[in-house]
Amino acid sequence: MRPHAGAAVSRRRFLSLSAGGAVAGAAALSGCAMRVSSAVGGSGETVTVMAKADDISPELIKQAQKDIGVKINTVLYSPSKLIAMMTNGNPPDLVRGVGAVDAPYYAARGVMEDLDPYFAKSSVLRPADLDPVNDLWRYDGRTQGKGPRYGMAKDFSQDSMFWYNTALFDQADVDYPPELDPVTYEEWLDKAKRLTRRRNGQTTVFGGSYNGVLTPNLLASLTVAAGGNLFTDGYSRVDFTTPEARKALGWYIDYCRTKVGPSIIQPDPNTWDGPTFQANRLAMSNSGYWLGGLINADKKLAPLSRLAPAPYFEGGRRVSPCQAGTGFWIPSKSHHKDAAWRVFEWFFGEAPAKARASGGWGIPTLKSLRPLMPAQEDYQKRVLTVQEAELKHYSVIAFTPYATADSLLALFNQIAPAAMNGAISVDTLAGRLNSAMNDQLKRGKEQV
Amino acid sequence: MTVDHIPSVADRRGSAPAPGPVTSRPHTSIATRRHRAFYMFASPWIIGFALLTIAPMAYALWLSFTTFDGISPRWHYVGFGNYRELFSDSQTWKSLGRTGLFAITSVPLSIIAGLGLAVLVNRPLKARGLFRTLLYLPAVVPPVGAGIAFKQLFDQNSGAANGVLNVFGIDALGWLADPYARYVLIMTVLWTAGNIMIISLAGLQDIPRELLEAARIDGASAWRSFRSITVPLLSPVLLFQTVTGVIASVQTIMPLLLAPDPTPAGITALPQSNYLYMMHVFAEYFAFGRYGYASALLWVLFVLILVATGLIFKATSGVVFYNVDPEAKK
Repeated sequence: MRPHAGAAVSRRRFLSLSAGGAVAGAAALSGCAMRVSSAVGGSGETVTVMAKADDISPELIKQAQKDIGVKINTVLYSPSKLIAMMTNGNPPDLVRGVGAVDAPYYAARGVMEDLDPYFAKSSVLRPADLDPVNDLWRYDGRTQGKGPRYGMAKDFSQDSMFWYNTALFDQADVDYPPELDPVTYEEWLDKAKRLTRRRNGQTTVFGGSYNGVLTPNLLASLTVAAGGNLFTDGYSRVDFTTPEARKALGWYIDYCRTKVGPSIIQPDPNTWDGPTFQANRLAMSNSGYWLGGLINADKKLAPLSRLAPAPYFEGGRRVSPCQAGTGFWIPSKSHHKDAAWRVFEWFFGEAPAKARASGGWGIPTLKSLRPLMPAQEDYQKRVLTVQEAELKHYSVIAFTPYATADSLLALFNQIAPAAMNGAISVDTLAGRLNSAMNDQLKRGKEQV
Repeated sequence: MTVDHIPSVADRRGSAPAPGPVTSRPHTSIATRRHRAFYMFASPWIIGFALLTIAPMAYALWLSFTTFDGISPRWHYVGFGNYRELFSDSQTWKSLGRTGLFAITSVPLSIIAGLGLAVLVNRPLKARGLFRTLLYLPAVVPPVGAGIAFKQLFDQNSGAANGVLNVFGIDALGWLADPYARYVLIMTVLWTAGNIMIISLAGLQDIPRELLEAARIDGASAWRSFRSITVPLLSPVLLFQTVTGVIASVQTIMPLLLAPDPTPAGITALPQSNYLYMMHVFAEYFAFGRYGYASALLWVLFVLILVATGLIFKATSGVVFYNVDPEAKK
């Protein structure tokens, strides 16, 4: 399970990024070839950044002052604090966000700054160099993926891809998934069942984890993979009763019901897959390339771990979306937009971006930084081969602007356990989800 | 103020002020100046109370009549719409019912546990101070730490609780799911009974020893002394613990720390039995972004707490024994 907004920061990730920041600083000081923007200033100003602790380390903050002369104040990321600051007319200058779900919501409410004029002038962040994943941060007033850019992703993963532990496959005598060809979702679940080990009512090895970044987002992706679309009527409604959405929902409920992996009815106390995978207690984890940052740092685990393409539904579409695209945006009421943009450029295109690219925690969002992805070891080369082939199947799966992903997730969490425990059918669940989520979307649409 | 105008001891006791020469402020009475001084010294608290309590409450009351969601530009006034919706929201009633049940169960249990511990450590034991410290220790553990510890301890697959059951050949239980989750929650409350123990201990030590000795000489058993002397004399303390316990239990946020995913959206995945009223409020505020509706929920809770407190005072007025007659203090 990937940690999302509000989830605990992994110590390893924090240390990794802190170290990355320090390395990046050293590289910058030694004068590595780096483009520096000349279009926008901001030197000498102070920029308030609302981020999580592992987004911008103290070392990176010092580095910003040295590199671009901008002082950074950080405010710990919190949606409620963001609302309070915006209501007071004193918003942060840069805000962390999950592009896949936050961009349409905030852009539709007019609180994000259109960054196209800045991109047009930048010599660091050139639109031609932007990976298509950054389209998650575009919104044209109707559909995500088109129109002005409101933010940018700091790195990304194709989150439906999964890692697997070959040692656990060997122990259970289960065939490895093919290297470049995807398995079907049904095959994935079958393998997960065969890989699961239980003793005295306790699960000692989870066969597989498949929770995506946020469940509504995952269900939207699964529905597209099944050949349909979860959102209807201009993204103002959901429909879980279409054959495709019903197939996607049914598969996910089956996954939860069989308890082959963590879910809300069988939570992992670690709250995300990393520690469980590292402890050889999880055979498959749908965490995308991103988890490689953790895996590469574990010399025992890395040679045992392999990345596999996103599964597909028989008769559906082969899609491999990014369900997060976490990055930053500038509030339209920011008092230091130029300085914020300078930090933005530096963070996404200069030393910190290079450090992140070589750390393995996600794919760089500038195409020019791809050669920095770790590829020294054989297992890293193998992962890169799979990842590069998978990029061909990337597509933006648009999310509704009328509700936060958190609100839809909260409704799902309230309603779905009954189906996961077998108390109601998937069809009943689909009806209840339609009713509750469409009420929430209706309220949201009235306010846009 | 000149030396002449410093109130005498007699003044402070409420006697009529002695007439004296008024030099600096002939038109200001001593009473007025005393009132001024009172308000001047109390003003930091009064300002704080106004800005940090009254103003937010008033703001929340205003929000409760709107559809404000924090971000959207087109929120509007809906009058009593949120309050009307509240009465038809099944989650509100269910969570309120669970909260009532939780209060009825956890408050008496924690008071009994705290009193039992207090009686225990009030006895002349060896290393009594050590016992008192150890029993109080859980109360000073930060709730977040305690929540994480309980979650790890009762995890179905890797928790120590099921490890112990397995030793005895019993299959693992899903402690953090229904129907067991409510018991784990009550355990978290009882775990901090040291708090109540300390207050009860202070009450016990205030009971005149000669009363207990007289009862013993008269042949009363320990239980009879406890029932007829200790409990009545402790009744104001028990009333205090009941009132504060009920208020704390209806505002409890502890289930959040036991949630599978302790985020605004994650807490709606709590087992039904632990989805209490404050969880519902929290979810409406931070997961659904319904600041107006959640504010209405909070105002209703505020009124319910006032009513519950009044009822407790009314119901106990005949059984609470005050050492000092409260009427005499008026």
